[in-house]
Amino acid sequence: MSSYTNEQVSHLIDGTLDWETMFRMLSMPKDHDRFAQYVAALQSKVKFKDKIVLPLGPHLHIVQKADTKAWVTMCDCGHDFGDYRENWKLNAVVYVRDTEEAMVDVYPKLMAPDTNWQVYREYYCPKCGAMHDVEAPTPWYPVIHDFEPDIEAFYRDWVNLPVPERA
Amino acid sequence: MGHQHIPVQVMGIDAGGTMTDTFFVRADGRFVVGKAQSNPGDESLAIFNSSVDALAHWNRGVDDVYPELVTCVYSGTAMLNRILMRKGLDVGLICNKGFEQIHSMGRALQSYLGYALEDRIHLNTHRYDEPLVPVSRTRGVTERTDVQGKIAIPLREEEVRQAVRDLVALGSQAIVICLLQSHKNETNEQRARDVAREELAALGSDIPVFASVDYYPSRKESHRMNTTILEAYGAEPSRQTLKKVSDRFKDHGAKFDLRVMATHGGTISWKAKELARTIVSGPIGGVIGSKLLGEALGHENVACSDIGGTSFDVALITKGSFAIKSDPDMARLVLSLPLVAMDSVGAGAGSFVRLDPYSKSIKLGPDSAGYRVGTCWPESGLDTVSVSDCHVVLGYLNPDNFLGGAIKLDVDRARRHIKEQIADPLGLSVEDAAAGVIELLDLTLSEYLRANISAKGYNPADFTCFSYGGAGPVHTYGYTEGVGFKDVVVPAWAAGFSAFGCACADFEYRYDKSVDLGVAQVATEEAKAAACATLQDAWSELALKVIDEFVINGFRPEDVLLIPGYKMQYMGQLNDLEIVSPVATAATAADWNAIVEAFETTYGRVYASSARSPELGFSITGAILRGTVVTQKPVLPEDVDAGPIPPEGARLGHRPFYRHKKWVDATLWKMEALKAGNHIVGPAIIESDATTFVVPDGFETFVDKHRLFHLKEVK
Repeated sequence: MSSYTNEQVSHLIDGTLDWETMFRMLSMPKDHDRFAQYVAALQSKVKFKDKIVLPLGPHLHIVQKADTKAWVTMCDCGHDFGDYRENWKLNAVVYVRDTEEAMVDVYPKLMAPDTNWQVYREYYCPKCGAMHDVEAPTPWYPVIHDFEPDIEAFYRDWVNLPVPERA
Repeated sequence: MGHQHIPVQVMGIDAGGTMTDTFFVRADGRFVVGKAQSNPGDESLAIFNSSVDALAHWNRGVDDVYPELVTCVYSGTAMLNRILMRKGLDVGLICNKGFEQIHSMGRALQSYLGYALEDRIHLNTHRYDEPLVPVSRTRGVTERTDVQGKIAIPLREEEVRQAVRDLVALGSQAIVICLLQSHKNETNEQRARDVAREELAALGSDIPVFASVDYYPSRKESHRMNTTILEAYGAEPSRQTLKKVSDRFKDHGAKFDLRVMATHGGTISWKAKELARTIVSGPIGGVIGSKLLGEALGHENVACSDIGGTSFDVALITKGSFAIKSDPDMARLVLSLPLVAMDSVGAGAGSFVRLDPYSKSIKLGPDSAGYRVGTCWPESGLDTVSVSDCHVVLGYLNPDNFLGGAIKLDVDRARRHIKEQIADPLGLSVEDAAAGVIELLDLTLSEYLRANISAKGYNPADFTCFSYGGAGPVHTYGYTEGVGFKDVVVPAWAAGFSAFGCACADFEYRYDKSVDLGVAQVATEEAKAAACATLQDAWSELALKVIDEFVINGFRPEDVLLIPGYKMQYMGQLNDLEIVSPVATAATAADWNAIVEAFETTYGRVYASSARSPELGFSITGAILRGTVVTQKPVLPEDVDAGPIPPEGARLGHRPFYRHKKWVDATLWKMEALKAGNHIVGPAIIESDATTFVVPDGFETFVDKHRLFHLKEVK
């Protein structure tokens, strides 16, 4: 089994890791400390002080609020999307591509989906404008709640770390 | 000092990634091996240093010996590294319109070439390398030659002119032209080449133009395009490197003409037109050396095994000849070059050893410590255990005499790491854990070797195994035990064997051309004669190229021995065989019958007589022409038998050695001091500066008059 430096894991997050190391990470069994190293590297890159509990996306995390110990979904910029068990998308800014004109931005004419059948819903941070997710459902479909992670079980059974405190 | 009068005749060079080996042979067969750290910035300097190191054994100097040499062969990784590091020329590519992306996309298998099986089937790891020519410097032109070689659309010459103007404006340093089916009909591509040259002349530009038909007229478009691009991309810069090497030789009084080992197993001049075929040469040297040794010993079936720091390479010589692969891959590119066929597994003496955290099984490699040896070398900066660490802990290697004492190894450091990483998690002692690693490696290698022989339909009992490479003799007993070879041979110069092999190679050019000939089993005299005429046309075309190459080096055409050959298969079968032609020229039906008979005989030998299928008819898929001139080759040493008892002066002492769950006391011998006829029974370790030969209990060895060690299991 291999192990990696914090610097390498930081490059992994930034997409600047050299290919040889990346290849080793891909082809060898997962190193023990990766989760802790990964979260620590993420923590050093975000603007807020709250502790990251679980990364959800490239710029979105479940964090433990420094003051209340409540777990919330939070953007890199520090914007709070509310309780981690609720669907954060309901508190995001949404742009729906449901016309041919809007689709032409994304795909050439006649190569985009028919918006009567499929639309794109793009979710942005209201504070910094980072795009956090894109859904491609049928037009009438409710906002998708991607998943509700079982964080306690993940910490306890998978990465063998103490579960962070939660209010 | 009396031996100073015996001239040194032959020099071989193996410029590897970490060490540059030189090998000098005197007229009486005595040899010396020199080593020096490689110098990628100036290879000629590393070669010079390595020569100084070698010749010091004879108390002689470079200025004194270089003028005596009659022949010198270089092999190295410079060209390969240039390709891998993408440090070649800015090439512009002209291809068929609509096919501009083909080179960048590459063949799908190029995304996993060189991977271990686990990664080949693990899609996430697949990756395409940077193309040698970017799409931005690729231009398509309209033309089409169909698969039968008929021109369906003539070349639009104005498009070629425009493409050339574009490519020159983009700063191209060379232009490659590769059009579809040009191996079937070269008309359009040659015309495109001439138009390109005219346009360049009009522009006042003198950049070279490489048309695929002039270099590698073989079927398979990706292969042909890659190879022609490689020629433009890497060959000229490599030629500069070789010129520098040659110039340094000349500065020190050398009179020989430097030759380079090529993929087809012959050597070519550094002035040769086709240098792309020097991309891989080091490992081939070993096969050529084995062939020569095999001939000297009267063994026509040889299993060549070369174990280095990172890989284990196996090649088979059957009935005195090695196999040639015509569409190999190198540097993760599919190519159309004739390459001496070799199989490799990524396990070597420097492979890293790790425990799988889930299954607790020991995993070797696929990466390795390379020149950093292992954690036993504190300066390596490594903390992952390598196979070498296990060797040091078990007493196989002398920690004070690694590479002749150039670096000191720390046994305790290796012990500590093995304990932490392997032994404790497995609940084993350090010795048993380390011995387990060695056994696993030996088993992996011997299975690989055995499978390689039996999968080709041969029996190991018909083969002699030659074991060489810096780390070969340490493992020889381990990977040959129980395989049942007729004989197992370790040359005293195992560490310099590739360099030796290069010096053994013929000065030989080889050109290939694809042809498509089909003749039924029962055919008319006219049909047979027509087939012969086509084959002869191809040979004549290739002969001009071969003779041209020799003329560049100052040979007269009549000095060149031409050896025509062909690739033939039963019609509809998938694999062809390479045959040396029984006729010097092909013209008549009788010639055709001889050609067929030679093929059928070879087929029966390679597979089985009963598998022959003449009723399918015969097709010739390729014409081959080799040309050679006479060169000086190394002679083997011939020593007088000094009896079975080794001289007392050869004895270096004792060292504890662990194998089969117990420590034994192994006798240490100095390899150079052993004499022909000496007989040594294990446990013994025979040391030299560059290699260590392990003879454990249950084995014995004797030195023959050529300074070859024969290893046997004691029954």
